[in-house]
Amino acid sequence: MEQKNMTRRGFVGAAAGVAAFTVVPRHVVAGSGSAAPSEKINIAGVGVGGQGGHDIGQLDSQNIVALCDVDWRHAAGCFKRYPNAKQYKDFREMLDKEDKHIDGVVVGTPDHMHAIVSMAAIKRGKHVYCEKPLTHTVREARMLAEAAREAKVATQMGNQGQAGEEVRLLCETIWDGAIGQVREVHVWTDRPLNGTNNWYWPQGVGRPGGQDPVPETLDWDLWIGPAPMRPYVGNRVYHPFVWRGWWDFGTGALGDIGCHSLSPVFRALKLGHPTSVEACCTLVNNETYPVASRVTYEFPARGDLAPVTLHWYDGGMKPPRPPELEDGRRWDTNGALFIGDKGKMYGGRLLPESRQRDYGRPPQKLERSPGHYIEWVIACKGGKPAGSNFPDHAGLLAQVVLLGNVALRPALKADKYLGTKLLWDGDKFEFTNVPEANQYLTKEYRAGWAI
Amino acid sequence: MIDSIDRRKFLGGAAGAVAAFTVVPRSVLGGAGGQPPSEKLNLAAIGIGGMGSSNINQCGSENFVALCDVDDGYAGKVFDRFPAAKKYKDFRVMLDKEDKNIDGVIVATPDHTHGVVGMACIQHGKHIYLQKPLAHSIYEVRKLTEAAREAKVQTQMGNQGHSSEEIRMLSEWIADGAIGPVHEVYAWSDRPVGGDPWSDFPVMARPKDTPDVPKTLDWDLWLGPVQHRPYHPIYHPMSWRGFWDFGTGALGDMGCHILDPAFWVLKLGQPTRVEATTTHYQPEVASETYPRAAIIRYEFPARGDMPPVKLTWSDGRLMPPRPRDLEPGRRLDGNGALLIGEKGTIMHGSHGAGGVRIIPETKMRAYKRPEKTVPRVRGGQSGHEQDWIRACKDGKPASSSFEYGGPLTEMVLLGVLAMRFKDTPLDWDAANLNVTNLPEAEKYIHPPFRDGWSL
Repeated sequence: MEQKNMTRRGFVGAAAGVAAFTVVPRHVVAGSGSAAPSEKINIAGVGVGGQGGHDIGQLDSQNIVALCDVDWRHAAGCFKRYPNAKQYKDFREMLDKEDKHIDGVVVGTPDHMHAIVSMAAIKRGKHVYCEKPLTHTVREARMLAEAAREAKVATQMGNQGQAGEEVRLLCETIWDGAIGQVREVHVWTDRPLNGTNNWYWPQGVGRPGGQDPVPETLDWDLWIGPAPMRPYVGNRVYHPFVWRGWWDFGTGALGDIGCHSLSPVFRALKLGHPTSVEACCTLVNNETYPVASRVTYEFPARGDLAPVTLHWYDGGMKPPRPPELEDGRRWDTNGALFIGDKGKMYGGRLLPESRQRDYGRPPQKLERSPGHYIEWVIACKGGKPAGSNFPDHAGLLAQVVLLGNVALRPALKADKYLGTKLLWDGDKFEFTNVPEANQYLTKEYRAGWAI
Repeated sequence: MIDSIDRRKFLGGAAGAVAAFTVVPRSVLGGAGGQPPSEKLNLAAIGIGGMGSSNINQCGSENFVALCDVDDGYAGKVFDRFPAAKKYKDFRVMLDKEDKNIDGVIVATPDHTHGVVGMACIQHGKHIYLQKPLAHSIYEVRKLTEAAREAKVQTQMGNQGHSSEEIRMLSEWIADGAIGPVHEVYAWSDRPVGGDPWSDFPVMARPKDTPDVPKTLDWDLWLGPVQHRPYHPIYHPMSWRGFWDFGTGALGDMGCHILDPAFWVLKLGQPTRVEATTTHYQPEVASETYPRAAIIRYEFPARGDMPPVKLTWSDGRLMPPRPRDLEPGRRLDGNGALLIGEKGTIMHGSHGAGGVRIIPETKMRAYKRPEKTVPRVRGGQSGHEQDWIRACKDGKPASSSFEYGGPLTEMVLLGVLAMRFKDTPLDWDAANLNVTNLPEAEKYIHPPFRDGWSL
């Protein structure tokens, strides 16, 4: 938490200059080709009431030309900030009508819509900034990565931390051999709970009965999108934000935080597809993700790099406190621990702290980022690809994160699967030892919806 | 789940035997000294509505002269089966009035009264069969163990797996070096299976409604040494296990079964360090009930030529990572343990190392089993109660006497203690019952009793 927030604050700080820009309507109506560096790009937002609205705020050095949300009340704040942007409820209509005015689309919808919206944009040749996790299913993540590569559009997933200094220092320290070969990594979060106090969103609960009148400002059918229709229930059961805990709409604690906190692990250890994924969890049902889980991935050797076992914990579970962590130092509610042959890193620093002080800084090998959002803008203008672009980073990362959710599926938690390790063939895109698990790599789309 | 199957097996296995006996009042009034095997013991039982009923069935060879339960509704069926036995609600009254008529007592009350009831029996010089975990706090366990030793009464803790054939096989294999020195143990339980108010292990804040106490129940006696709170049906008869004040959670419930084999065969003794991590929940829930899931990590120092051991317990359906030696297609049980040695791995199930195997199976088949050197308990796991009867008569300790069951329970309850201080390693001085790095743990090691109650 602390770390994450600090990172976010760091970003916001770094991007504060952005506020100085004013929105200048773009005179030249352009296609989705690369705009010249001096020129502003035209951005549309889909799902702007929550994090999507924040993303738009970070990008409003550019032209915000259209905003779309299925709930205009939820989106009102964002709409108000950009009075010149056209307003839509249906992203399909927006893309049709504004096709010629849009260079890039920012997707901040609930998870179950990410791939549908992003793919529609990519098919129109639009650049895409999509919130994490990239998609709702493993197959969607793979498809988006492939589509983005073929369409040669600029992409970026919303894991802001990837642009930070911390991840660069982590990579450079590990690549410098400071902790030797890394064979074991532990990553954990307190989500879906916020500390010991409050739910971020509920998990481990069943579906409520009854239904409430749909607010006039909300198009519930559009909100449901490709998911199976269900009655609207108010009081923050599904919308806004708490959709994260439901299988049909969100990706649970792992989906929410995994793309943030596993991104540095993928970078630093140059991970590809795992060879296996195995999960256990508290009692889980077909409605919501479990209260707590442990997911273990095994990655094969990569060149000179040793095989790695990656353990994920959520719901407040943590790995054992390392003896090298000095008494009195905080063992955070969200964190990552890298265990190497010659040492350990926690919170991006060598353990114990005296070792970090002796070590100092690693030789710089990585270019520093101008900022997560600006990375994407630069890429849209024909510059260097953004750090968490779909084909090179986000697609794989999201696939692997979501493989963990497959292993948590209630059907695969039945007694006969207890302790089962799902063997994964990333090239063939299938589980080789439990064929019935493969159905959960994708999902059925409601009639009228397809990716 | 597994436990209820075992219970059914017990009931089934014992049904015929019990029905055949009639209660014959014993003419010779005896003290707690040894009886000749031909003579029947006069037994009493306290807390007979639940697991106690099953224990009684297994002791059907003896005379039941007195039965005690704070709820004669819940215990009604058991009372009815023994019309000749005197009925009591208050164990103190029973022990006073029947002192001269009782040789031994079976105690199967909720965890929070094990200590006071057990101690009263011992102080009356009675042999005692006491359900697991031995008591609710580590201090009570230590005191019970010491008192039983001094009183020279025969004792048995209700971890029936300890009388099994398999736990003895495991002991012989480990001594034989079947998997080499053991450095790591993983144990797990699928309890609590629910996490909802209607399951056996609720995860909830303290109930606010105050229904009337059933006429059959003496609520004040049910509470015993615990601070008073209003009656609520969620506590009694079963769900007390999930509440800090009354039960010991999934670990307390199942740890004395599942950790028993490793504790015994590896001669673990007491850990020097323990650390727990648990699911998060709201403070009003956290202060009342055990978490939905916990992982407890124990560190045991070297013992003689045996290396230090790291033992990891998982509950709430959390499990250890799949062991490398387990062949494809083979699953883990909902409850079980893994002993990881330098030369191999042993896997077993819940009670008494049930289903113990070296994995993979090819290695098990190739293994030449050593001779049986560890004495067997007659009847194995189902003979656990009878082993206590035997001890009462011949004066030789039962398989899981408090000398063994006490330290086993202390180790288990230390893990429960660690859950009070999640993600904080506790340095444990077992000799002095002291967490050396956390003085505030004392209030859980030796919790205060309600006025009028003492050990």
